[in-house]
Amino acid sequence: MEVAAEGLRFERGGRTVLDIAALEFGGGSTTAVFGPNGSGKTTLLRLIGGLERPSAGMVRIGGAPVGRDPASRRHVSFAFQEAVFVGGTVRRNLDLALRLRELPAADREARIAEAARECEIEPVLDRSARQLSSGEAQRANLARALALRAPVTLLDEPLTGIDRVTRVQLLDDLPRMLATFAATTILVTHDREEAFRLADHLVVLVEGRVRAAGPKASVYARPADRTTAELLGYTVVRAAGRTIGVPAGAWVLGEGEPGFAMLVERVVDMGNHLHAVGLADGVRVDLRLRAGEPLPSPGERIRITARACVPVG
Amino acid sequence: MDEALVLLAGGDAELFRIIGRTLAISGMATLLAMLLGVPLGYALARGRFPGRTVLLGAVNTGMGMPPVVVGLVVWVLLTRSGPLGGLELIYTREAMVIAQLVIATPLVVGFTAASIQALPPQLPDLLTSLGAGRLRQLWILSREARLGLLAAVMAGFGAIISEVGASMTVGGNLRGSTRVLTTAIVTETSRGNLPVALALGCLLLGLAFAVNLLLTLIQQRRNG
Repeated sequence: MEVAAEGLRFERGGRTVLDIAALEFGGGSTTAVFGPNGSGKTTLLRLIGGLERPSAGMVRIGGAPVGRDPASRRHVSFAFQEAVFVGGTVRRNLDLALRLRELPAADREARIAEAARECEIEPVLDRSARQLSSGEAQRANLARALALRAPVTLLDEPLTGIDRVTRVQLLDDLPRMLATFAATTILVTHDREEAFRLADHLVVLVEGRVRAAGPKASVYARPADRTTAELLGYTVVRAAGRTIGVPAGAWVLGEGEPGFAMLVERVVDMGNHLHAVGLADGVRVDLRLRAGEPLPSPGERIRITARACVPVG
Repeated sequence: MDEALVLLAGGDAELFRIIGRTLAISGMATLLAMLLGVPLGYALARGRFPGRTVLLGAVNTGMGMPPVVVGLVVWVLLTRSGPLGGLELIYTREAMVIAQLVIATPLVVGFTAASIQALPPQLPDLLTSLGAGRLRQLWILSREARLGLLAAVMAGFGAIISEVGASMTVGGNLRGSTRVLTTAIVTETSRGNLPVALALGCLLLGLAFAVNLLLTLIQQRRNG
């Protein structure tokens, strides 16, 4: 089911938080709404979920406008950033969600069993939901949203607030979970890795406005502007009169085109390799030193080359 | 206490009527205060509107309002020459329910608002996103906040069953009509009938304890 925002504006306290002329999320796609903190990502998700009323414009899901009535939210399931539960077991929480969607008891049991299996929360189904570890709670939170099998699934920062090991596991498992349960998925994240690993489409949101939108490969291949390029992980520099973005890891030591002088500030020992960090063209550059390359000293000027780059703007 | 036991054992009809009247008036006032106070407390806890903080401050002030002042205000409103005098409610049980309702409601609103605010702030959003309507949400959130809500009932009931100023002022302490345990205690004390007054006092305490024990048992059982 496709989702469309039309002339969507949201104001809070006299400030425009979100201003989107037109934006579409294709049916069956997984889109990451990606941007820095305070860019309006969660507000957009809440507007799609019918939890906020737009100051102007509207959101349509499957062509029908989203309103504040419970019926218009039936197409959507929402996993909030913070896993929130009612008192009682994980099973009771999943069952309540399904009951609120008016599923018969037999269907609810089957859905709970399926979601528990796919989201790997079977061992904690009969434990108190409020006593789960952060990783278990996030899985239960996702299981509850996915068990609804809604045409549109909204995930707000699904991997925030959990330890690194659990995050890595969940990052591996989430695509399978989404493939099993979700149709159209819109997830919000400020983490580039999450956006690229989980989504096939990207929407870059900065200060409430869409800077770029489309399949992730095309958004990445041609960043719309400097901010977008930096968010996507490029180092943005000027070379031969034009602005280019150099992807992470594309800097190499030595002369070449496009070449730059870099003032080394410090050398960082990462354990199995070294990084030289400094300024080139007034921009902070992180250069990975390969084995056998001469070790620069802080304050030294070295020549570096961008092995790959894309035009910006 | 012996006096009270003698009166109870002797099947003193007036005493039983006073006990029944006390429970009926305070019970009705508590029930109405819950019906009014729970949604108001919920709105104050969840709503974002201008003047909310001032309103919360007013409710908190109301939680400590002297019953005799409430009685005076209700008397001024209900007395024959007052703005609501035409209703002819002064010196009736209904007037006592109104006065006790005014005393209990801020307590119920305050306790409800505090218990709803103590819930995870995202819980209402979760229920909204799951498709729960306003009434269903209120029901689920009330279940989640049941410890606080039962505390609200206990606080409201405790405050009004033990107050005397408002009941005396608007009820008039009429024998066989508006006399309740607290006003009966005042009457017996003023008559110098201290053993009976003390016995009634013990009865009142016992009654309040029994009701609160029942509510506490419900509260703790549901929590267990």
